[in-house]
Amino acid sequence: MSPQDERSTGFEEQARAVLAESVTRIDSRIRSRLNQARQAAIAEVSRPSRRPRLLLMPAAGAVVAAVLVAMVLWQHRPDSALPGNDGGGQMVAAEDLDLIADTDGLDMLQDSDGTFYEWAAGQADAGAETST
Amino acid sequence: MSGFATLAPPYSMPSASHDDADLSTSIAQARSRALNGFLAGIELKAFKIAQAALRHEDDALDAVQDAMLQLARAYSDRPAEEWKPLFYRILENRIRDMQRRRTVRGRVLAWLPFRSDDDEDDVDPIAQAPSDEPSPSRKLEIEEAMQALDKALDTLPRRQQQAFMLRTLEGMDVAQTAVAMGCSEGSVKTHYFRALQTLRAQLGDFQT
Repeated sequence: MSPQDERSTGFEEQARAVLAESVTRIDSRIRSRLNQARQAAIAEVSRPSRRPRLLLMPAAGAVVAAVLVAMVLWQHRPDSALPGNDGGGQMVAAEDLDLIADTDGLDMLQDSDGTFYEWAAGQADAGAETST
Repeated sequence: MSGFATLAPPYSMPSASHDDADLSTSIAQARSRALNGFLAGIELKAFKIAQAALRHEDDALDAVQDAMLQLARAYSDRPAEEWKPLFYRILENRIRDMQRRRTVRGRVLAWLPFRSDDDEDDVDPIAQAPSDEPSPSRKLEIEEAMQALDKALDTLPRRQQQAFMLRTLEGMDVAQTAVAMGCSEGSVKTHYFRALQTLRAQLGDFQT
């Protein structure tokens, strides 16, 4: 070890001793406050972790939101949208489809020369006379 | 009949979960004890390092307290051997934040050497006599050496001061100091060497 290194080592040892001495002279007020700070930090560790609950919260929220959406969709489904309709809506829709799909009516109109309507009107007039 | 009496209950899940809870509680308590011991072992040195950097007792206390809380919150579940460099890394960040804030508002506080108040010490020198207390002249020498070193430390660049304090006062090795300072080991050696050079140039071979 060179004299320069020896001097550095000696200096380091002296500095270490001085710093160590200064630590021992830290007064009781500072020690007390450091102790309080340490206890606060330890209390932070001892406190039950909230992390798992925080992780569960989004999942629980998603489930609740899905249930709410399902309830809303159930309440506003098409069948129940018609007031006073308890299943009859399906019957009406079926009759409409039958009318549209029925080709007999179209054939009758194409082949007709007006005699049917004249006969129908005569039947209506006759009905009205008999009722009076 | 005695053979039936020795049969274990077929379902023991409730007791098992209870055991798990006890185990986690005991682990948490052991961790708290370990952290308490670690913090108790470093808090005075940490305060001294923060006080050397900030030159203000209350600011140094705040910095150490913040570092303690941050370590407990974020890193208490890390291996205990990692706590020291992590703690000083946090402390250094806190010190830097305070110094930046102080720079903004101007350096109001001048150099204040840390002095202990003997009246507040736990030990009563009269009650403890005879004691190992140094003589008044020796105490005066130590006091002067402390003040001289304190003043010289204040002239160092922050990184040099940090390397010197962590290596000399805290006794951290180069690798730990590098983690605490967030730099390479080579940088630590450079900072430390330059700090030694500057301090020796100012203080000479100061005697204690």
